[in-house]
Amino acid sequence: MSRRKRPNFGANRRSTFALNITSMTDMFTIMLVFLLQTFATADVQVEPVQGMRLPSSNSNLNPIEGVRLIVTKDELLIGEHKLATLKDKKFDIHDIDGADANFLPLLFNELDKLAKNSTDEHIKEGRILLQADASLPYDTLRKVLYTASMAGFPQLKMVAMLGN
Amino acid sequence: MRGRRWLNHDTTGEFELDLAPLLAVMVKLVPVLLVSSAFVQLMMVETELPQIVKEAVQQNNDPKNEIAKIRLEMNGQAGIKIVISDKGKEQEADVPLKDGAFDFQGLHEKLVSIKQANPKVFKIDMIPGAGVEYGDIIKVMDEARRSRDNRITFPVFDSEKNAETQTPFMFPEVVFANSLETGV
Repeated sequence: MSRRKRPNFGANRRSTFALNITSMTDMFTIMLVFLLQTFATADVQVEPVQGMRLPSSNSNLNPIEGVRLIVTKDELLIGEHKLATLKDKKFDIHDIDGADANFLPLLFNELDKLAKNSTDEHIKEGRILLQADASLPYDTLRKVLYTASMAGFPQLKMVAMLGN
Repeated sequence: MRGRRWLNHDTTGEFELDLAPLLAVMVKLVPVLLVSSAFVQLMMVETELPQIVKEAVQQNNDPKNEIAKIRLEMNGQAGIKIVISDKGKEQEADVPLKDGAFDFQGLHEKLVSIKQANPKVFKIDMIPGAGVEYGDIIKVMDEARRSRDNRITFPVFDSEKNAETQTPFMFPEVVFANSLETGV
């Protein structure tokens, strides 16, 4: 009977081994360079609203602080506070002043409250940072511009996406 | 003896670099950068200009200076109409739609020629129609702001140097002329 040689597990196994991390370091270096390129250096960070398509521009100015007005296809917001609803990219008739078709009373009251109660420099200067969907008609935006001007916010800064 | 020892010395120059600390730094840096990176870069459209251009724009706003006025009317059905009013006379230029959309290339070329004819004008009054999309308005502002071709520049007077200098800016000051009209 031939004697089979039993496998001797662990006899030649070393407790430590050298892991080759060169390729992993290469990968991390590439990632680091890419991330450093996209690193945001602007003072004011503007987060795009979900579902909204901002217009594109070749302007290279970083956003500055202002009252954040957001007009999506469905609603008008000031910061995160919803002010009015839009139907087919147009303001609801109940949100528009009866005597002046370009005046939005709810937006005016909110901006007026901000202007009276806040001591922030950008509010005192009447600066608005407008994020609006690229497909919105001027007729809808004009109502926002008109009301904001009436409330003492004539400085309009339009947020756009970089590129063509 | 000494010479023999030198002969046995490894002269290949190969050694193993310990990359573990470098990797440890990178593993910490990558998540930090991932969190703070802006993959979609948002910019702002406004009129932040060099000092000399700012001065020229201020001169445009001064009613005492008799500078030509340029009006840009946008219409979703007809295209863009440019009206130049100078000393009581009005001149019109049309940029019709191209394939059912605004012809931004044609508009830019027309604005360059208008700017060459009126180098002192830095401001335009924009009158978009009710149905014109916001994205198209921003594109028109882009076309009007500065010359695309860096070789095309326009003269502007630098009061500090008391000499004429060149700028690529055309019409950086855009005013929504009909934004304060009351709705009926």
